Order: sequence, then C-alpha cells, then structure tokens
Amino acid sequence: MNNQVNKELIVGISQMSDDELKEYMKKNGISLSLDEIKLVPKKIGRDPTLTELHIFNTEWSEHCSYKSSRNLLKLLPTTGPTVIQGPKEDAGIIHLASVNGERYGVVMAHESHNHPSQVVPYEGAATGVGGIIRDVLCMGAKVVAIADSLRFGDPFGKFKNRCRYISNAVVDGIAGYGNPVGIPNLAGEIYFNSSFDDNCLVNVVSLGIVKESEIIHSEAPKGAEGYDIVIVGKATDNSGFGGAAFASLILDEEDSEQNKGAVQVPDPFLKNVLIRATQAVFDEVRKNKINVGFKDMGAGGIMCSSSELCDSGGYGADIDLDKVHTSMNIPPYVIACSETQERFTWIVPPEFTKRVLEIYNDEFELPNVAEGAKASVIGKVTKDKSYVMRHGGKVVCNAPVNEITSGIIYDREYKEPQKKFTEPDIPKTSDYRVAILKVLSHPDVASRMKVFKHYDTEVQGNAVIRPGEADAGVMAPIDGHPAGVALSTDSNPRYARIDPYWGAVTAVAEAMRNVAAVGATPYGMTDCLNYSNPEDPESFWTFRQGIKGLVDSASNLWLKGHKDTPVPFVSGNVSFYNYSATGKSVDPSAGIACVGILDDYGKAITMKIKKSGSGLYLLGERKDELGGSVFYEINGQLGANVPKVDFVKERGMIYSVIDMIGNGHALSCHDISDGGIASCVSEMILGGEADGKTGAEISMDAFGNGLRDDKALFSESTGFVLEIPKENETEAIKICKNNGVELVKIGKTGGSALKITKSGKTVADVPIDDLRKSWTTGLTEAMK
Amino acid sequence: MDDGANGGDEMKGKVAVIMFPGSNCEEETARACRAAGLSADILRWNTREDLSSYDGFVLPGGWSYEDRIRAGVIASKDSIMKTVKEESIKGKPVLGTCNGAQVLIETGMIPGVKDELQMALAANINPFISGYYCTWTSLSVCSTKCAFTSGMKDGDVMKVPIAHGEGRFTTKEDGLVKKLEESGQVVLKYCSSDGKISDEFPTNPNGSVNAIAGICNPEGNVLAMMPHPERAAWNRQVPGLEAKPFKEMSAPGPGSPMFSSMADYIEKEGKKWR
Repeated sequence: MNNQVNKELIVGISQMSDDELKEYMKKNGISLSLDEIKLVPKKIGRDPTLTELHIFNTEWSEHCSYKSSRNLLKLLPTTGPTVIQGPKEDAGIIHLASVNGERYGVVMAHESHNHPSQVVPYEGAATGVGGIIRDVLCMGAKVVAIADSLRFGDPFGKFKNRCRYISNAVVDGIAGYGNPVGIPNLAGEIYFNSSFDDNCLVNVVSLGIVKESEIIHSEAPKGAEGYDIVIVGKATDNSGFGGAAFASLILDEEDSEQNKGAVQVPDPFLKNVLIRATQAVFDEVRKNKINVGFKDMGAGGIMCSSSELCDSGGYGADIDLDKVHTSMNIPPYVIACSETQERFTWIVPPEFTKRVLEIYNDEFELPNVAEGAKASVIGKVTKDKSYVMRHGGKVVCNAPVNEITSGIIYDREYKEPQKKFTEPDIPKTSDYRVAILKVLSHPDVASRMKVFKHYDTEVQGNAVIRPGEADAGVMAPIDGHPAGVALSTDSNPRYARIDPYWGAVTAVAEAMRNVAAVGATPYGMTDCLNYSNPEDPESFWTFRQGIKGLVDSASNLWLKGHKDTPVPFVSGNVSFYNYSATGKSVDPSAGIACVGILDDYGKAITMKIKKSGSGLYLLGERKDELGGSVFYEINGQLGANVPKVDFVKERGMIYSVIDMIGNGHALSCHDISDGGIASCVSEMILGGEADGKTGAEISMDAFGNGLRDDKALFSESTGFVLEIPKENETEAIKICKNNGVELVKIGKTGGSALKITKSGKTVADVPIDDLRKSWTTGLTEAMK
Repeated sequence: MDDGANGGDEMKGKVAVIMFPGSNCEEETARACRAAGLSADILRWNTREDLSSYDGFVLPGGWSYEDRIRAGVIASKDSIMKTVKEESIKGKPVLGTCNGAQVLIETGMIPGVKDELQMALAANINPFISGYYCTWTSLSVCSTKCAFTSGMKDGDVMKVPIAHGEGRFTTKEDGLVKKLEESGQVVLKYCSSDGKISDEFPTNPNGSVNAIAGICNPEGNVLAMMPHPERAAWNRQVPGLEAKPFKEMSAPGPGSPMFSSMADYIEKEGKKWR
C-alpha cells in the first residue's frame, strides 16, 4: 500500500516568510512559536501536511510534552522499596499488601483541569474527574477512590459573584461525574483567595487497586506487529479539539466563547457502562492470558494515544481515520487530535478483536447506551516505525513515530523576584473567644461537610474513614483483608506566595503528617504542580523553587524503616500558564497527594475526641511562624515567617505518631495546620460531623514557648495534637523519646467548652455550641 | 475471608442482582447477599439467563438509564422488569435500594395496593444541601411483616447511609399513607440514633412523608428502600466504630440483618416456587 503523503496536502511552510507563517498559523489555530514550527520540516525531512502540523502542535504543547518542566522533574525521587511502577505511564503504582503470595498495588494518578474549569466550571471539573479515572483504569485496575484539591477566588472580594458561581459549579461537576460513575470520594481540600479570581485550580486524584501480575501496560506488547488498533467509547466529535494546546495558553476573558469550544463534554453515564464493559474485557484478557496494550484517550486524542502505545513497544501504526466512528463531519486533523471524552485505545491480537467488539457492542450495548458510541477497529500496528494516517483514500500523515512522541525540551531562564515580605505589628488580641470563632469560620478552616456530603463517599462499600472525619480518608480495598489505604491532598497557597520553596516543603510534610495522623505510613506521593508562565523568568524561578522544595522534603522525610530512602513520587502533572490576561498569577501551588498504608485498618483513628479524662498532648513546639497564617489573614496581613520544616524532628514526629497509633496508645489525633493549635483542638472537640460533646482544657503554660499569646495559639508551625488516655502515657512518651521528639502534655479532655488557661487564669472559654456554629457556617457563607 | 465468592451446597438460595446501564452498586450488593448465605449473580439488563431459576432479586442503586425523564422510569419499562414482577407474584423476595427503589415505585409494584403508579420518590427537601445528599442515617424498623425485616423486631434501630437527590416518598392519593401505615407496609422510618422518629431535618434527611424510608407491598415480599443496607453490611463501614480489632471490624454490620432476613425467608418459603 502507498505510504507516501499526497503531495497536494503538503503545506510549503519552509517557503513562507515569518509574517506569512504567523498568518497561516493564526488561520489554522496552530499555537506553536515560529522557532517551533520551523523545526517540524527538520524532524520529518520535508514540509508537513496540515494534519501533521496539528499533530506537532498538540504533541509540543506544554500539556503533552512537559517541555519546560521535564528537565527539572527528573530531580524528583521516583524509586524505592514501595514502588511497583514509577512515573512513566498514565499512573504510578505503590505496593499495598501481599495476599496469599500475590502482590497488590495502589494505582495513583493526579491531574489538573484548571483552565476548562474556569471557563465552563461544571463540565471542566467533571471531565477532570473523568480523565483521571481513565488514567487509573487503563493500568488494568479497579478504580476505588477519587479526591480533589480545589482553589477558588475570594468569595468576599471584587469578583465574589463569579467566584461563588465557579466554586459551586465545580463541586456540582465533581459530584455530577463521580457519583454516577460510582467512585467514592475519599479526600480533598479547598482554599479561597483572590489569586485564584481569574484562574481557579481543580486538581483531581484517583486511586485504583490491581494485582501486580495483572497490570496492563500502555504499550504495544511483544510481537504486536499486525495487531489491531481498536478504539472504544463515544463517537469522535470536535469537542476538546485543541484542548492540550488550550491548557497551555493564558486565559483571556475576551476569548471566553472560543475557549469554551476547547472544553470537552462529559458523559458519566457512558463512562459507567464503559468501565464495566472494560472490566469484562480485562477478565477475558486474564483468563486467556492474552497480550494486549491499553491506554486512555486524553490530551491529543487518537493521535497521542495510538502513537504512544505503538512507539513505546517499538512499533509504528497505520490508521484509517475513515474507520473512526464520528458523530459529525470533521476534517482528518480534528478526528486525529480531538479530545472527545470517554474513549480508550486497545492494541489486541486479531483473533481476540471479535470478542472485544462483542463485549462492548453487543453485551454492553454501547451503541444503545450513547448515540454513536461503540468499539471500532481503526488500524494496525506496523513493524515499520512510521506513523501513518489515511483519510478519504489519501495519506494525511507519515512521520517517524518517535519524532511525534519525543517532544521538545527547554531550559527556561529564571530570576529571583525582588519581593520583600515583612512581619506585621498586630495589636494584642483583647477577646480570644472572638478571635477563635473568627478563625474557625474562615472559609479555609471551616467544616467542609457542605461539599463532602454532596459526594458519594460510600459507594463500593469500602469506606472506613470519610473525608472530613480525620486528616486523611481511609478505605479497606481488599475483600476480607485488613490492609488499609489512607489518602490526603495538601498545599497551602499563602505559604508558597511568601516562599515557594518552603511552601512546597510543607505541602509534602503536611500530606505525610495527614496520613500519619490516622495511623498510616506514607508510602508514596503524586504531585500536581500549578504555576504561572514558564517563559517569564521570575515565574519560572518560583517553579524551580517548588521542585527544590519537593525534592528536599521527600528526600529527607525518609520512608519509615528505611534510612536515607525518600518517600517516592510515583506520578505527577504540571500545569503552567495559570495567570490571566490582566497579569494576575495564581499562588504557586505544588499540590501533593500522599498514600499511606495501614497493615490493619481497624487501628485507624479519627480526629474526634473519644472520651472525657484523657490527656491532650502536643508534638512540635510552637514557633513565631505565622507568615501566611489564617490569623494574620483575618487581621488583614500576610507576614513573612512561614512555617519551616526541621526534617529530623519532622521525621521523628511522623514516626512517633504512626507507632503510637499502631500500638493503640492514641484515641484521636489531628495535625496542626490552618488556624494553629486553637483550631486543631476545636476540630478535635467537634469531630468531622460537628456533633462532638466532649470539650477540652489546654494550658498555654505548656505550649506557649515564650511566644505572645496570639502567636502561641494561632502559629501554624508543624505538629500534632493527640488524645492519650492516662494508662498509655508512659509508653507514648517513650515512643516519642526513642524517635528523638518530646511529647508534651498540654491539657485534658472533658467539660463542654474549649477552655484555654495561662498561669491559672482563663484566656478563653468557648462553649462547644459556639465553636460548632462558627465552624459549620463558614463554608456555607462563602459558597452561598 | 468475610465476603468471598459464591459458596457451595450450604447456600440458602440463589439471587440475581440486576444491573441496568448506569447501576453502580451491583458488586457490593451481591457481596452483602453472599455474606448472608446466598449465592448471588450479577445479571445485565439484556441477560439471556432464565430468571425463573432464581429465588430472589435485588435492584441495586445507581443511575439506571441516566435517570432520563425521571429516576427509575426507563428501567421500570425494561422487559426484564416484567419478568421480575411475574416472579415476585410467586412470593419471591425483591429488594430495591435507592435507584432500585425508584424503579419499583415506577413499576407500581410498590406500594402495590392497586396495579398502578400510586407514589413517587420526589426531589429531596433539605435545608443544608440541595440535590444529591450522602450521609449516615438511623432507621427504625416499623414492620416485620416484610421479607427483609422478618428477622428483626419492631423498634430495632440500624445505622445505614443514604445517597440520593430524589428520595422523598410522596403521594397525591388521600389516605394512602395512613392505609400503608395501618397495613404494616411502612417498613422503615428515619429516626434519631436512639430510635425517636422525626419528620425534621436532619433526622429525616430528605423531607419524606412521615419520615418514611422504606415501603413494602401488601404481601411483604417486595421492598423499596432509599437507604443502602449493603453499605452497612460490615462493621468497618460504619463511622465511629474505629480502632477495633480486625475481627470485630469485619463482622456483620447493622445493615446485614436485612440480607439474612432475605436468606431465611427464601429458606423458609422457597418451597412455594421451587
């Protein structure tokens, strides 16, 4: 068969002047730079066709190629004893447990869907969930959890109406997708501030469970020459065409209508059935030991998915775009690169193809589930390492497959911005009751139940600790087995605004503290890095600082029981260009998701105080570190002294907490973060459901550390508060001592208020009902 | 293993969990049936299996047919439901949870006083969150004439979660609710953790008439309930029961008596249809 591209399709870009080239790119929606487009003929040895240009336009976008970040991402630790698979495919895999000699893994993926969520919040957030579920499923896993990390604009600021609309629609979009598909929500957090007015952040995490022996890879298997390329799912349309390139552009309000077209359309109903049909295909693959390749279709659509599958197996592809099931008449480059949702690509031996089509098209009736949906054979895997696409009897693309997938790379310039942050001089607080209630009702602190209860946390029946009940969610994913999986997501935007390095360090440390606080051992992480313009040296400096922070933190907070061994990053995502046409950048946001493992989920504990008469203990001394704190913010200040992490002590604290909970010494535990020790103990009193009835009394003499009262109460220095009954005190103190940290008794549980004393005098005495009212109304007010 | 695969001869009967396009609770529902001593198969809506070989049926939660037109209505017209209805007339137990309850209401099998649509599951009335609401509730057993509560006592309280946007039992028919109450067809009501039934939020999470959470047919073998007993079939699933030994965590939970009642009912009544 003829493989040469038809001459009349070739665009003579090497003959064009720069102005002509710019004009041509603008007309055809190509967003490459001039230097980049001129590189295309060098890569393929001739001028390209329009389809080929669109392919390189997509592949060389920041979203697909990580061209600005790849060199730095290499610095992250990605290996270790807990890693089954590091970051090379759509998701990483962490070792969970061995059951009857069979190793089980937690599949983990993390992605942003920021720009689409700003432009069309419901659909943008929903497709974010849809995409991350596909990433996990395509490893052959059962998808068991989702989590989301959300950043919205100031709900009381200049753009409050739009910000509130977006926050509500994003939450509805996550619920509207995750609930029907049937994936429980396990964790998540929300921050609000004006840096997100023009660019909300919607980061989603998904977990799956897979036996190591049953992992399916995103590559054409050995001996795949002549195998069929099968695509399955929704009929391809023009939705999301240019989505990858769109994700790599700045948002301009004036382009909003045009941008909406780049957002994909979610169909959770079809996805629900697709997942179940795909599990049925997995079953047959396993039963009959068939060699296959399987990949999600996300950014770059058919082109990206099929070229990467074939290239990673060392093959090429020959695809007939006329065989793609489409729902509209669209040109070949749109069929090739559109990001229509709810699609996957299979590489299967021809003798298995019939069965695959039967499962999807007949048994699960895809064509009756959604109009035009089905599985179709669209091409063959070829020995020849070229990527050929045909359309209307013509060859529209023939390029070396590795040139398509290898992308380009940049070493971006960086420069430290000259910004000065100073510590404020805040008048002494006259009424601590008022201050505590104000902190508790701050939208970054207040109870998240209004959001969490909109999500299905119970479906699949594996929830043990739900979002909001503790610092991390916990689930029991293996039937009849005690292994537990804990998940937390973290990143404090205000710390990173002041100091992008310490902001990233504390994001890692807090994510680990959060899983430790339920008794789980941090086993692995993913990162979702949301930054501004990589082409701006000052912005790029913040990105470099963020990476440095992640590397230092992960490398120094060793995997428990393994000296000098980092807790690894098994997967990740980078989102640049989170700034608006008005020049406003988001706070640097290195979002971290941490998976912790429990040998026995029965030992997991929540943050809620369990009984009267227990001791309350502090790990982690209070320091003058209120930069970026909620307390400064309610006083209209930002400050300078962000919380820092002493790695040796932080390790000691994390290990101690895991051991104390593992040995059953602690009844409840909460990490100290937004709002400091005051909000930490208040939340322990209230519990996730805000139905707590047991109060607490703490003494500043024990934790004041010579600080001003307000600083001691609201400092966000790293630490934990634990409830430990008297009979376990000696053992608990010993554990902490062995880990090189001091467990300090700061008070006891009991009463019906949060009582804070100093030198025998009452500093604050706040009834539980008042705590409850402030804490449970803060978010409701912000999202009204 | 606490919730393994289908067992052998000692099973009390064989039930089918029927999955429509959009169902999403079929696996955990089948698991809860198995734990109660039943063998359970998940069957697709277009199955060619002979349904008459099954001793009972469960319609699980989810979004059957995308909740198009009205939750449950399209599944209720699916030809498989005609067969389920015919089988139920033989006395076989049929449980519909959440979306499954919506399907049963739409078929008219519930309340089943007349062979027509008499009730609806309307949009929640909830002052806290409008639309979809997922939370744990307490249920009071109000009638034990039903196959699924036959092993329980009046006034028993069980913690079971809900997760729905349209779960408010309602009717336009004057006197129907009173009649159902009197005939023992109101099987479950929302209550406080100490068993006090209340119409008020948050005890009644969706504004359901008389705080009703589940209604059975006059014969008692078909039950439509909005809460999810399969999500409370093991102790580990129940919030607040933390830091307990694994053995205790993996023991049957508050929702499990509904499945064991079904198993016992099949064991006792199976001769009617076998």
